[in-house]
Amino acid sequence: MPSFSHFFETLTGSTNVFIDAMLLTLELTAVSILVGIVIGLFFALLKISNVKVLGYISDIYVYLVRGTPLIVQIFILYFGISGIFLLPDFWAAALALAFHNGAYIAEIFRGTIQSIDQGQMEAARSLGMPKSLALRRIILPQAFRRALPPLGNQFIIGLKDSSLAAFISMNELFNVATTLGSNNFDEMTYLLIVAVYYLILVAILTLLVNLFEKKLAVSDR
Amino acid sequence: MKMKTKLVLSSLFLLVFLGGCAEKDRLEDGSKLIDKDTFVFAASGEFKPFSYVENDMTLTGFDVEVGRAVAKELGLEPVAKRIKFKGIVEGVKTGRADAAVASHTINPQRSKHVAFSTPYYYSGPQIFVRPDSKIKTVDDLKGKEVAVAKGSTYASTAEKYTGNIKMYDSDITALKALSGGRHDAVITDFVTGKTAAKEGFKIEGRQLIERSEQAIVLPQDNPQLLKRVNEALENLRQDGTLSKISKEYFGQDITTKPE
Repeated sequence: MPSFSHFFETLTGSTNVFIDAMLLTLELTAVSILVGIVIGLFFALLKISNVKVLGYISDIYVYLVRGTPLIVQIFILYFGISGIFLLPDFWAAALALAFHNGAYIAEIFRGTIQSIDQGQMEAARSLGMPKSLALRRIILPQAFRRALPPLGNQFIIGLKDSSLAAFISMNELFNVATTLGSNNFDEMTYLLIVAVYYLILVAILTLLVNLFEKKLAVSDR
Repeated sequence: MKMKTKLVLSSLFLLVFLGGCAEKDRLEDGSKLIDKDTFVFAASGEFKPFSYVENDMTLTGFDVEVGRAVAKELGLEPVAKRIKFKGIVEGVKTGRADAAVASHTINPQRSKHVAFSTPYYYSGPQIFVRPDSKIKTVDDLKGKEVAVAKGSTYASTAEKYTGNIKMYDSDITALKALSGGRHDAVITDFVTGKTAAKEGFKIEGRQLIERSEQAIVLPQDNPQLLKRVNEALENLRQDGTLSKISKEYFGQDITTKPE
């Protein structure tokens, strides 16, 4: 284990590089979460639709994504399909992460939508709302609030999963840490430093999700 | 059905549109580059002193300086791109980089997938062990646990002598594990091992196993670029640039063929 003073010196001496890397990690995470939410909502709606085929499509997507490791998916987007078209490095990583997060988010949305009492839909329908409007105005807002805690969890997982982009040449936090560690023959110090950066990011993300939860809880009263 | 047609059309459009982006720039002499003004070459950045980053993450090392010299000789702007070693051959094949100057040893397996320039340095794998180890030559490796870097030729070298092989992401990590008491030996390039020992790793070099030739990796469908890179390397050999870069990093010239 490195001494504390050595750790601290290295930490303060490397902030410039790590902040750049942190911004890239944040960009990757933000894109992958936002696109993941859209994908997730889309497939959750397919799943709960009355058309059986759409439900199957959603099942297949979730199965493929959950059934293969994220690193495999990243390599497929980076190398595998480059014969057909070449995604830029950033988008190969971001889209792989988004597709991955999307499957888990789809399951979160499906679960929470189905957890809303049947009576809500029946009441809305009996007031004359068409099904799509009832879904949009009555079911989804309630489901979204219930989805927040598991979503926050998924965002944190997504943030940490972005470290796998290191394997396709993205200079994000993990890649910078292992590279500097290996070049300075000092891996443990840099791994501890990168752990600090991830802890800070996760703390901020947790805070944001909590704030959002509180805000939505107020509208509940 | 209308919806389906729309879907098919839009995905076709997407494919054609994105496919357009994959097309490389074609120069007058028939060589192809990702961008006609730059020479994008891959290096791992995790193979000190051949390829490593400064603490501000700028890429440097023997390989990288050779890559830059070749780019200048070609009249192109050098762009060094860091890709993990095991992904570099695939990266060159799929157009993520124009070439790789990353200490790739010429071997038949790689030659099936990519083209090699003439060698830009000569080297060889060596056995590294902890100072108290009894292992001296390759014959002592039988049944011993040997660690190597993923995707390096040292894995197949090691396979000739032992069935017990552990893979690491980089040579440095493998050496670090060895120094920390894991595994019985590491097979890696002698310069890399020597440098690590100098940096305080508790390791020692034993038998030098074989001679190898390291060359620039290029895609197979780009013979014109290969020809130009070979010409550039020959010029750099003649005017002493290669030897100068080598002496700067190793204190000796490893760019001429040993007898």
